[in-house]
Amino acid sequence: MARPTARKELIGQSSDPRVPVSMTVNGERVEREVSPRMLLSDFIRHELRLTGTHVGCEHGVCGCCTVIIDGKAGRSCLAFAVQADGADIRTIESVAAPDGSLHPVQQAFRECHGLQCGYCTPGFVMSIVDYLEDNPDPDLSEDAIREVLSGNLCRCTGYKNIVAAFRRSAELMRGSR
Amino acid sequence: MSAAVETGWIGRSLERREDARLLTGRGEYLADVRVSDCLHVCFVRSSHAHARIKDIRLDAALEIPGVVGAITGAELSREIQGQKIPVLIPAFPAKYRQYWPLAVDEVYWHGEPLAAIVAKDKYVAEDAAAAVEIDYEPLPVVTDAEVALREDSPRVYDDWDSNEIFGTSYTGGFEADQIAKNDAEVEALFAQADVVLRQRFRTQRCGVCPIETRGALAIWSETDGLTVHLTTQRPHIERLALADLLELSTAEVRVVAPRDQGGGFGVKAPFYREHVVVCHLARKLGRPVRWIETREEHLMTVSQERDQIHDLEIAADREGRILALRNRGIGDVGDGRQGVYWGFVMPSLGSVMLPNAYGIRHADIKLRCAVTNKACMSPSRSFGALPTRFALERGLDMLARKLGLETAALKRRNLVTEFPFISVTGVHHDSGNYVKAWDKLVESVDLPGFRALQEEARASGRYIGIGFACGAEFSGIPSDVLVPLENQPGYGVVTMRIDPRGKIAIHEGDAPQGQSHETTMAQVAADAFGIHPDDVSVRHGDTGTTPLSSGTIGARGASYTVAAIAEAAAALKAKMARYMIHDHGLEGATADDFSFRGGAVIYEKDGNIRREFAALADRIVMGSINLPAGEDPGLEHTAYFEAPKPMICFTAQAAKVEVDIETGQFTILDYATCEDVGTVINPIVVEGQVQGGVVQGMSNAMFEEFLYDENGQQLTADFENYRLASAADVPNVTVGHSPTPCPDHPLGVRAVGEGRPGPVPGALANAICDALAPFGVESTTLPLKPEMILALIEAGRAGNGG
Ligand code: FES
Ligand code: FES
Repeated sequence: MARPTARKELIGQSSDPRVPVSMTVNGERVEREVSPRMLLSDFIRHELRLTGTHVGCEHGVCGCCTVIIDGKAGRSCLAFAVQADGADIRTIESVAAPDGSLHPVQQAFRECHGLQCGYCTPGFVMSIVDYLEDNPDPDLSEDAIREVLSGNLCRCTGYKNIVAAFRRSAELMRGSR
Repeated sequence: MSAAVETGWIGRSLERREDARLLTGRGEYLADVRVSDCLHVCFVRSSHAHARIKDIRLDAALEIPGVVGAITGAELSREIQGQKIPVLIPAFPAKYRQYWPLAVDEVYWHGEPLAAIVAKDKYVAEDAAAAVEIDYEPLPVVTDAEVALREDSPRVYDDWDSNEIFGTSYTGGFEADQIAKNDAEVEALFAQADVVLRQRFRTQRCGVCPIETRGALAIWSETDGLTVHLTTQRPHIERLALADLLELSTAEVRVVAPRDQGGGFGVKAPFYREHVVVCHLARKLGRPVRWIETREEHLMTVSQERDQIHDLEIAADREGRILALRNRGIGDVGDGRQGVYWGFVMPSLGSVMLPNAYGIRHADIKLRCAVTNKACMSPSRSFGALPTRFALERGLDMLARKLGLETAALKRRNLVTEFPFISVTGVHHDSGNYVKAWDKLVESVDLPGFRALQEEARASGRYIGIGFACGAEFSGIPSDVLVPLENQPGYGVVTMRIDPRGKIAIHEGDAPQGQSHETTMAQVAADAFGIHPDDVSVRHGDTGTTPLSSGTIGARGASYTVAAIAEAAAALKAKMARYMIHDHGLEGATADDFSFRGGAVIYEKDGNIRREFAALADRIVMGSINLPAGEDPGLEHTAYFEAPKPMICFTAQAAKVEVDIETGQFTILDYATCEDVGTVINPIVVEGQVQGGVVQGMSNAMFEEFLYDENGQQLTADFENYRLASAADVPNVTVGHSPTPCPDHPLGVRAVGEGRPGPVPGALANAICDALAPFGVESTTLPLKPEMILALIEAGRAGNGG
């Protein structure tokens, strides 16, 4: 195997510069030094070890990596960690209550069988949590729901049960208000 | 032990065991496995579709800080075995070409890996991969299978006499004279037929790419050898292959398919080249090495199926009864070098499945598969059969139109009615009532009502249409088929263990990717033992702890693995009954005299004789004195299930669409199915499988298409250019049922995992053509893009004299 020569001390060390970032993730303040080109999705997954945020395309289409950034759902694969400096971020790990009881959106997915492999699920849950927080009385027509969900891809479910889970989420959240 | 539990767990829409972790971000997918000190691999891939590698210079890449090493194909080929090994080769004749996972002298498709970089993280590895300098000498490229099969075509492999990798006849027999005789008989039927339909059908290269890409994490230990976590549907086969390729003892190789995998759909079933490179590098460096595929890599190299052409001919009488079928298929298999399937097994099975569901008695079906300078075809759900299904279902609609018959009636007239039925290609249709399911579907869509509506709509310039299709696909694959097809066993197997507290552990050697095994298999075991599903755990995918099986493929879960669970449970229940007979002195009693319910084992002839299930388990496992004569202690059993012949699962599907004749856009108004899945273990899970499968078929039919330019450059390697259906693109699917329990399965189950996408393109295209019947539109290609539909409308208008 071809190996680097004459710089043994450097093997395994990247020369990328490091810059400090700090942000609030799931209510906790975190500070790290990272490469300026580290994606926010990698920062969340690798630096913070919050592996519930998934990566399906790394080019902004599938929606698996959706987190809530300063109160707005966004794709963490489309931002660098340094761009989120000072931001307030919520990931799937923060959605259930501290005692472990499921959030209404999670509950609805479970009741409606809105997931199979579960890989797309954190992205859907974060998108829907964000949407219903902003729109507590959403339009529950089939077309309107499908439009809201169209930013996330799922390969397993055929979406019908995710639409049902959206409806049920709205109902549960209204009930808990 | 849960007290006073209910029984009757089969047939309930139980919430899933998996969901608690998956919904809260605690899934255990490959990329979540964490080991310290792990290095990252990035593959250098060919930028040419066909070229000689003149030189590879790694110096600049090695200069980049953080790079640990680099390996080329030439070096690798001296260190490991080539991939043409028996465990990865089907048991029938074809041109199996030797190859190494990194190209050695020549590259054959855009995206073929030719070197690998190992670095501290993926960013550095990607930088270094980009810095590798390669001199290519371009060679002639062939990207069209029909062209490739011509005498004068450039050769993909210059030492082959032609580009044909595989070709065969599926009808008549194995000897040339038998085949010729059959062909002549079929020809005679064509000569006498009232009507003959001849049409070419073409399905585009597409597949069912999962949302989680592929990956591998290999760990080398001087004492234990190799442990590799892999995205795979068949961990045990991977293990055998890795041992052979790396020249390790199987004792030194453990493959772990992660507990959670983000979809597979066949895409994670082949043996891929990248896996072995990652393992070899981990061994060589003595450090953990990981590769997580990017979406671009994925779309360049895998998930590409369906690339087939069919020249179909149907001979029929005036009433639309099929007299004979003739088909000449062509499969475009890409480079044809990929373990297990070699690109051609899918089109081959597609030809076998072509006449399925219909009672066709005479046929002449042949297939030729060509290698081209494209990525190797890899399997996708509805394995090989979507293209032939499209051809037949579309062809029958065209036939109905020719005869002036209602297509639903014509198809019904031809369905298999007597079972078991062996198709002309030898597919055993075990049982069912296809006509009943068909009628139920046709009734559910109110065909007469729809025809009236259609008339009205046309009068006001709106074009709506209805289309039907059906499918009969394998519910698991018996050894009878799988051994010749893939050189692997078909049996279902589980090891079941009952512990002294009455908890049951099921170990299965398959590797599901979203099919809810942890829930449904627990339901089956709980039902058998009369305990609660929470007292049953299901573990899968780790070759270190599970019995060898061929993997989660071909709808094997609910069919074969569940059947093995039922058999293991029956064996352990019989053993527990024998202990009861012995302990309570019940001379003459048999296992049938005991019932397992409510967490207890009860002697039916005297209800006072009963033991708590857990207490009896404890007595047998821990209290190993005073044993019944000839009896072993312990409660563990490995059961193998084999169906004598294929079990089949039938689906009938109907689409209603509206087409805008100005734009060629269409809307799916309604989509309904009627399923014969036999006994249902968990209705909501079954329904989810059907909905998901149907929408995969819609997405394939409407949007997905891998495109290569004339130089073989892959143009669609991201989700913007290779488009998947979103929620807004598809309708609700209504799932109906017409169950007939499967007699060859101990619980009567038929599995739905494989076949649902297959009939969808035919149903949709039939609906569109029905809507556009006034223009004489007959679509024969996929995908169903508005431009294509508009062109057909315009051609129809011109043909009608405007
Ligand atoms: S991973 Fe970010 S959108 Fe796909
Ligand atoms: S549940 Fe598998 S991708 Fe959505």
